[in-house]
Amino acid sequence: MDSLVTSNVRQRPVRTIISVIGVALGVALVMLFTGLARGMSTDLQRRSSNVRGEIIFTRKGSIQLTSSSANLSTKYTERLQQIQGVESVTPVIRYIYQSGSLGFDQLDGVEWDNFARMNGIQIIEGRGPQQNDEVVIDQTKAKRNHPVGSTLKIFGEKLYRVVGIYSPESGARAKVTLASLQDSLEAPGKCTYVLVKVKPSADPLAVAKQIDQELPGNNVQLTRDVFTSVENSIPSLGIFLRILVALAAIISALVVMLAMHTTITERTREIGILKAMGASRTYIISEIEREALLISAIGLIVGFIIAFGGGFLIHKTTGLIFEYGWRWALTAAIIGLVGGAIGAFYPAVRAANLDPVNALAYE
Amino acid sequence: MTMAAAQATTKQVAILKAEKLEKTYRIGKVDVPALRGVSFEVEAGEFVAIMGPSGCGKSTMLHLLGGLLTPTSGRIVIDGEDLTAASDAKRTDIRRRKIGFVFQRFNLFPTLTADGNLRLAERIHGNGSGDAERRRDVLRLLRLEDKMHHKPLELSGGEQQRVALARAVITQPALVLADEPTGNLDTENSAVVLNMFQELNSRFNQTIIMITHNPEAAAACKRVIQMRDGHIVTS
Repeated sequence: MDSLVTSNVRQRPVRTIISVIGVALGVALVMLFTGLARGMSTDLQRRSSNVRGEIIFTRKGSIQLTSSSANLSTKYTERLQQIQGVESVTPVIRYIYQSGSLGFDQLDGVEWDNFARMNGIQIIEGRGPQQNDEVVIDQTKAKRNHPVGSTLKIFGEKLYRVVGIYSPESGARAKVTLASLQDSLEAPGKCTYVLVKVKPSADPLAVAKQIDQELPGNNVQLTRDVFTSVENSIPSLGIFLRILVALAAIISALVVMLAMHTTITERTREIGILKAMGASRTYIISEIEREALLISAIGLIVGFIIAFGGGFLIHKTTGLIFEYGWRWALTAAIIGLVGGAIGAFYPAVRAANLDPVNALAYE
Repeated sequence: MTMAAAQATTKQVAILKAEKLEKTYRIGKVDVPALRGVSFEVEAGEFVAIMGPSGCGKSTMLHLLGGLLTPTSGRIVIDGEDLTAASDAKRTDIRRRKIGFVFQRFNLFPTLTADGNLRLAERIHGNGSGDAERRRDVLRLLRLEDKMHHKPLELSGGEQQRVALARAVITQPALVLADEPTGNLDTENSAVVLNMFQELNSRFNQTIIMITHNPEAAAACKRVIQMRDGHIVTS
């Protein structure tokens, strides 16, 4: 199609490429950030969903998203085991430390056989941890160049030997013995929480209420309520994402506006010719808007390619997980197209209002 | 039969009427008169040259007739429509339907082929698919059939001006306004383009008003209007 719109896009490659990159960056930013938040959130939720103990018994505030403390006596396990409706209990230390692709990582200290039995976890290679310097990891972590026999640095320079790989993934990706973490944290007889599995015939909520009555002053929660999504755990994440989206829209609009503004200045004479040919203001505005929309659409496609390609490469190199949703993809598409259209509107109106005689005389 | 149609059967119809046209530019705090009460008529099918020295008001006249400028006073009627009483949008509409422009510098769209330039004119005119027969006749007349897929920079000056001429007449305007159409051409190409103007005028009864400095170009026209200092001196 030999239209003014397509020919301008084709034959002004530098302008087109710069504009496309501007829109694409905005779209890619939205997709990557929201994809990362969603990916990590889903990952945490998926791992949490494999924890089969229905109740978590802990001290108030001892587990946060990025911190935890071992301040609960393991003696509670005996008391909990005696409560009606409880099938089994197992103490866990959740240790959160600075590391990994997110800036923090998690390590669980567990009584392995007990914990594995309760949660239906099996060793698929090697064996469970026995000594203080032994660790077992899930398949995802093992794929990141951590085979059985390799070592992991967890406490500063302290090396842990990978002795087994377990499945399915559940909670922290690495697990050591409870004694090992108690030793390292100098917290003998302590844990972060006790995981409680109720009998099949019992109602978890009723059992939780019973525990609360018998052991007041502690925190009794259903597991499904504890491991909420990252987005819910960090209240300002949603605001951050919305600000990011707004910034991306502004960037897209500004880049397109600057590019179209420059183009209109270059093409002042052409606008004059259009006016001499009888093109109305509406026609001129619509031609420029169509050009901006075409550029934005190309930018949109490039942006999605950058987001998917970039996300894949980042995942391969850092292990960060991206999960793209249709809602955010639609938002990114609207940002790209609407941003481009809004950005082009001022230059388009300016072009439509040019004096035809002056425009025709423009050198 | 309407009165206008009845009159048309008995005498030539004035396609353009300019009455007491005045145009004064304000430059800083000084008023500079460009046209000082110009009146004339052009009948359908006429080929008129407007000549005169630089600064005599020729270009201002052409811009007024094309609705690109509004006069300070006076009246312009094109094909029965009062250009001076019209709003800016209405003037644009009259220009779109009734007027074709040919410029000294060709003013083709460089990113479009010759065909693309013609189709753009048709789209603006609101005739998306165009009149195939008219199109074929114009292209044959202007000997452009084999140049339609070339971009302006791939064409000679004479060819570019022929494409510009084709673009101006493809939508069958009542009036073609040409601003020094041979000003950027050598003698040979000027003769070819003038010949094309003449053929368009005689074959399609196309009304043409051409501004020119070139006496040879003026000689190709049926009538010459001489201007000086914002006045018509001979018509």
